[in-house]
Amino acid sequence: MDSITTAASVVAAGLAVGLGAIGPGIGQGSAAQGAVEGIARQPEAEGKIRGTLLLSFAFMESLTIYGLVVALVLLFANPFAG
Amino acid sequence: MVDSAGLIDRASAPLLASPQLQPEPDSPKGGKFVLEKVVDGSLSSEKPLVLDSSGEASKPSSDEYAKLLRRILLAALMVSALAVSISAFFFDLHVASSLLAGALSGILYLWLLGRSVGKLGNGSKNVSKTQLLVPIVLFLVVVRLPQLELIPAILGFLLYKPAMIIQVLLESWETSNLKN
Repeated sequence: MDSITTAASVVAAGLAVGLGAIGPGIGQGSAAQGAVEGIARQPEAEGKIRGTLLLSFAFMESLTIYGLVVALVLLFANPFAG
Repeated sequence: MVDSAGLIDRASAPLLASPQLQPEPDSPKGGKFVLEKVVDGSLSSEKPLVLDSSGEASKPSSDEYAKLLRRILLAALMVSALAVSISAFFFDLHVASSLLAGALSGILYLWLLGRSVGKLGNGSKNVSKTQLLVPIVLFLVVVRLPQLELIPAILGFLLYKPAMIIQVLLESWETSNLKN
């Protein structure tokens, strides 16, 4: 793998993780805020709120994992390495 | 405050609606209160009525969450077993073992995520990110070991998502059946 491909792969890996984590990070923050407020207002619905929070976290974090997988592929199993 | 002539010293007295009222040194400032019965003018503290909102009231709710998490993990295990058996039948054993490794790490990831969501508000203020180490370790292991393949392992890791979708659909179906 020549140096330009290596440099581009490293930069692209950083961008994939960094940009891919912005949206899920904001979403997880607002979801956790809403859940904690809901539990504080209605403690008897804590189980349902936590269940919904778990589902939404799992689906939001999978977006981060997609970016992570792309970055790891670029770093360790680069298809452009000739 | 009151001098020898019985006059109130207004310079040193606190500004109150009635100057005769004095602030209590230990006024209640929230927290746990105990109501005691007054029987015949005397205080009886045999059976105090304790008003405490923490503890017992939230136990059934947290049990409900633990039950949901257990059901989701069980559904993920069943979906993983089904997918591994189908891939072992249609593809070779390398693909099936990669899918199995990915599925097991996906279940581990889901368990870690569920644990950190369960701790949220009960001791930690934010969701921990340790579960994100699981796909990284899985990827590094798959890249290092020649017996495992990358794409089946990643697909196996993502098998927890259909399991969660199935679980949510089943739960909403049960809820609508109970309403009808």
